[in-house]
Amino acid sequence: MLNYFLKRLFVMLLMIVLVSTMIFFLFRTMPGDPTAYVVDPSIPPEARQQLLERYGLDGSLWDQYKVFITDLARLDFGDSFFYNRPAIEIIQEKLAATLILMLSAMVFAYTMGVFGGAWMAWRRGSRLESIGITVSLIFRSAPTFWVGLMMILFFSVQLAWFPAQGMRTAGTGGGTFAEMFLNLDFLRHLILPALVAGLYFMATPMLIMRNSMLEVMSEDYIEMARAKGTKERHILYRHAARNALLPVVTAGALFIGASIGGQVLIEVVFSWPGLGREIVTAVTRHDYPLAQGSFIIISAMVMFMNLIADMLYALLDPRISYN
Amino acid sequence: MKRINRKKVWLAVMIAVLMLFTACGDDDTNGQDDTGSDIPDEEMGELVPDLTFLSSLPEANMVNYEMSQEVAEELQALGVNAESQPMDFAVLLDVLYGDDMDYDAYTIGWSGRIERLDPDMFIHSINHSDNAGPGGNNTNRYRNPEFDEIADAQRREMDIEARRELVFEAQRILAEDVPKITMYSRANMQTYNKDLFEDVINIPGEGLFNEWTPFSIKPLTDETVLTVASNVNIDDMNPLSSISVYGWRNLRLIYDKLVRLSPSIEPEAWAAESWDVVDDTTIDVVLRQGMTFHDGEPVTVEDVKFSYELFIDENVEYFGSFLTPIDTIEITDDNTIRFNLVEPYAPFITNTLAQIPILPMHIWENIENPVQYTNEDAIGSGPFKLERFQTGEELVLSRFDDYFEPVHIDGYIFQIFASPEGVLTALELGNVHMVSYDLVPSHTEQIENNDGGRYDHLELTEGDDIGFFYIGMNLDRAPFDNKQFRIAMAHLVDYDLALDVHLNGYGARGGGGLTIVEANEFWHNPDVPIYDTYDPERAREILAEAGFTWDSQGRMRMPVE
Repeated sequence: MLNYFLKRLFVMLLMIVLVSTMIFFLFRTMPGDPTAYVVDPSIPPEARQQLLERYGLDGSLWDQYKVFITDLARLDFGDSFFYNRPAIEIIQEKLAATLILMLSAMVFAYTMGVFGGAWMAWRRGSRLESIGITVSLIFRSAPTFWVGLMMILFFSVQLAWFPAQGMRTAGTGGGTFAEMFLNLDFLRHLILPALVAGLYFMATPMLIMRNSMLEVMSEDYIEMARAKGTKERHILYRHAARNALLPVVTAGALFIGASIGGQVLIEVVFSWPGLGREIVTAVTRHDYPLAQGSFIIISAMVMFMNLIADMLYALLDPRISYN
Repeated sequence: MKRINRKKVWLAVMIAVLMLFTACGDDDTNGQDDTGSDIPDEEMGELVPDLTFLSSLPEANMVNYEMSQEVAEELQALGVNAESQPMDFAVLLDVLYGDDMDYDAYTIGWSGRIERLDPDMFIHSINHSDNAGPGGNNTNRYRNPEFDEIADAQRREMDIEARRELVFEAQRILAEDVPKITMYSRANMQTYNKDLFEDVINIPGEGLFNEWTPFSIKPLTDETVLTVASNVNIDDMNPLSSISVYGWRNLRLIYDKLVRLSPSIEPEAWAAESWDVVDDTTIDVVLRQGMTFHDGEPVTVEDVKFSYELFIDENVEYFGSFLTPIDTIEITDDNTIRFNLVEPYAPFITNTLAQIPILPMHIWENIENPVQYTNEDAIGSGPFKLERFQTGEELVLSRFDDYFEPVHIDGYIFQIFASPEGVLTALELGNVHMVSYDLVPSHTEQIENNDGGRYDHLELTEGDDIGFFYIGMNLDRAPFDNKQFRIAMAHLVDYDLALDVHLNGYGARGGGGLTIVEANEFWHNPDVPIYDTYDPERAREILAEAGFTWDSQGRMRMPVE
């Protein structure tokens, strides 16, 4: 197991170098250069040249690459062109906002999904089952920005229950983590976007859970439990659901990996200052360090969570081993 | 099987019919265009080359996109093979400013920033032949020695009335030569909460969130902190590295400047008590007494000298052109700074003195790499103190009580939104009090219609823009090197369509050769006739008079030399 883990870790490192290289060249093949976005076109050509030097873009592509990859080895993503600060600092700030939003959404989606899915399988063929499937699929297929706008219209504008956007009331909040995130104002701002994201993600765990439950329910030991006269709810949660949970766990682990990119549309609709929005603007602004850094971290995260999912698999299902 | 076959047959028939129609259509127009020239094709001039109009993507600028399509169609109707090619803004800039200068024509715009109220930008930078090379702002490659002389002269003329005469003359030449065709200017439609605040100021090219509104605005209720909505990000708080427009609009409220342009755009001594133009290349500035920085240190002439020199030494890109005319800066007495210029530079007071912020020397002299400095606790001597800057979220500022000019609000918050929709909701709910950008047309309409009184508390403001959007032409290339062709082109642009249809009437009309628009009252020459009528028939006449001919297939041919 440990051997396997180390081997995978090593492959992962190689992959990250490869991905970083690809990202590096990908951004540089994009048409236009960073000076076009950060400064007005009216600046004289010499000034443009100066700016390129300041950004370290005056050397050959190969020289730039060498600098990039050696810096990367020291986990230095460089300074964001736009913000004039280390890219990693910006990413950290934004990542916190995104992760809190996505994890809240995940808790909602997976709680609803696991219990709802199990229950739907148990009540197979009932009208409630088809309503459940329909509702979850509607939220899955409806554009999130539309659902978001409707939620804002209803809960913020009509009912005035929740704030319409942002992470906190303007002008409040301070520098420390606690001041920024551990307060009621933040929580009030979190509910709507988390709900919209949660409803969107709910279908995956719910349908996986339902399918895998249906499979499990046809197993002999369920029949056995029934024959013993065990209570229905007991069979549902103790015997069936526990065994059906496996694929949901994998999906969940992968979800965390992918979630750090955020849900751009939700972040835009709710003006949530998350990483997803930041990446989009970084790419359009040609802010290479910030965009590169974000993509590298996202891909590393996806790979790592994949590995975790595989490991979890072995732990949860004794039939799987990596030796 | 049978069914599918039948379908296929139908499809084939339809395609055939369609093709027949298109072919006939071509024949028709050709027949019409054939103006019955008796000269055989081979004796006519060269064909007018195929023309490509580069333009913006529809999502970036719908009006430019549509207008360039229209103009291409007009040219096609005249027998020129013209097409419009939309492209990303950065790519367009690359083409226009690249070394190859490989393009025929394009649509783009100049935004109406406040320093462009000084005519130097629109007269000299974008029309002088010195700037017609690769990377220069004269992307029309317009070269006229007579014009160059006047453009240079207005830059050196320190007397404002005499300079105005020169600028008027320059506009006359441009209107005659038509190096570019101005299509339209946008009106700056903005809004604020009139129930909560009063006394806002609207400045051409700047709108409501200018450098005066925060001074003048008064709260009407106990809401004493103004919240301003933005839909673009701010970069950083370092005046030497900040290059975003809104970074600057906030920094100039934290840092003071010697001169501020008044709401009627006249230079007003501000942190300076007065200035004196000793001679064409010597300007003395007397500093106002008793000012302090936000940390309590006094503002001295040393700080001013240090700031200007720092900006010059650090080669700050944004201000390069304003600073290069400065030769030396000396302190002549406790209160006076003398600027010695290399050569006379008319925009010195309106642009240079009105742009460079005064930095506290006691802080910046110790900083090793000033351009890289993040300046998180910016200390200036302006009317507002920086409280907090949360990247991508908000900038919080409070009133600086020791400022010499009274400010009526306790502070303001510059809040960053991800989309204009979010801002509209926040405006409706009263969470923000003012926008800092031009409303998108649909929101202007929504507020104007005021459905169910939802926007009763909002006041819509309209300001004129001094910037404009235009069709640029590469004058190094045929047929744009022919002045008559450019004049004919000016008759192919439907100026009313741009304004009335595409802009819903919120804006101003353009015209061929128009450079300084009416909104810039002081510098606009109202007596110059510009080509601003849409008249394709007249265009055809102008072309015919200029010797352009149409061959048997209706294609336009260049005049024979």
